[in-house]
Amino acid sequence: MTGTETNSAGQQPKQKDTRNTGPGRLLIAVYAVFALSATARAGYQIATKFAEAPLAHILSAFAAVVYIIATVSLAKPGRTWFKVSLAAVLTELVGVLVVGAISLFDPVAFPHDTVWSLFGRGYGFVPLLLPILGLLWLNKRRPS
Amino acid sequence: MDGYFYALLIVGLVSTILCLVAGLMKKAPNDPTIYSVLAVEVVLLVYLVGSIVRVALGEQIAGEPWEFWGYMLTALIIPLGAVYWAILERTRWSNFVLAAVGVTVLVMGARMNQIWY
Repeated sequence: MTGTETNSAGQQPKQKDTRNTGPGRLLIAVYAVFALSATARAGYQIATKFAEAPLAHILSAFAAVVYIIATVSLAKPGRTWFKVSLAAVLTELVGVLVVGAISLFDPVAFPHDTVWSLFGRGYGFVPLLLPILGLLWLNKRRPS
Repeated sequence: MDGYFYALLIVGLVSTILCLVAGLMKKAPNDPTIYSVLAVEVVLLVYLVGSIVRVALGEQIAGEPWEFWGYMLTALIIPLGAVYWAILERTRWSNFVLAAVGVTVLVMGARMNQIWY
């Protein structure tokens, strides 16, 4: 991991209060793509067929907001943003597990797909993987 | 699936594999990986111009036109955003960011094809 890194060479220990470095940058990039696609999807669903399944579409919008908050907070330095990140990623984990389970056992309640339906199967299960990787990364970059 | 999709499929996959291998070899983004992502952008630009011409010549998009153009504009932003994000911090991880572009755009291209036909 070293050798090619040119930034922050002189000041290693004090720089720990950031998450937007190394693998964190990949994580933020993937979160950004999900924020974008979840927002677009929720916007499209609410604009065209909200009345068909209001709950599922409100959930889509909620997921989009969670992804946006996670993306922004992970990119920002400092303790406060760390806490925001933690809250967002935990919300996301609970969301994907609860919605995933409900959609599995009660498909009638969720006739319309959300990002989290069937544990994010429509998105290659990345929505399930993302909060786990997010928590691991947050743990590694915990502010001292 | 039309030629635009297959162009995205090939260029996208080559770009993803190239960036993935470079990342696994612990290399920072360099000319080959960055240009491979820019090649994806070029294919998208050709797709954009081709689609504008087809609509101008009277061809109808089967699905929602604004959904198609929404995908198109978003897809056009992704490679540029990823290159910008990658060169801000040039580590091996940025190559994985670049690797995500090819597959993401290719999935979007498949969806755009579905909307069009």
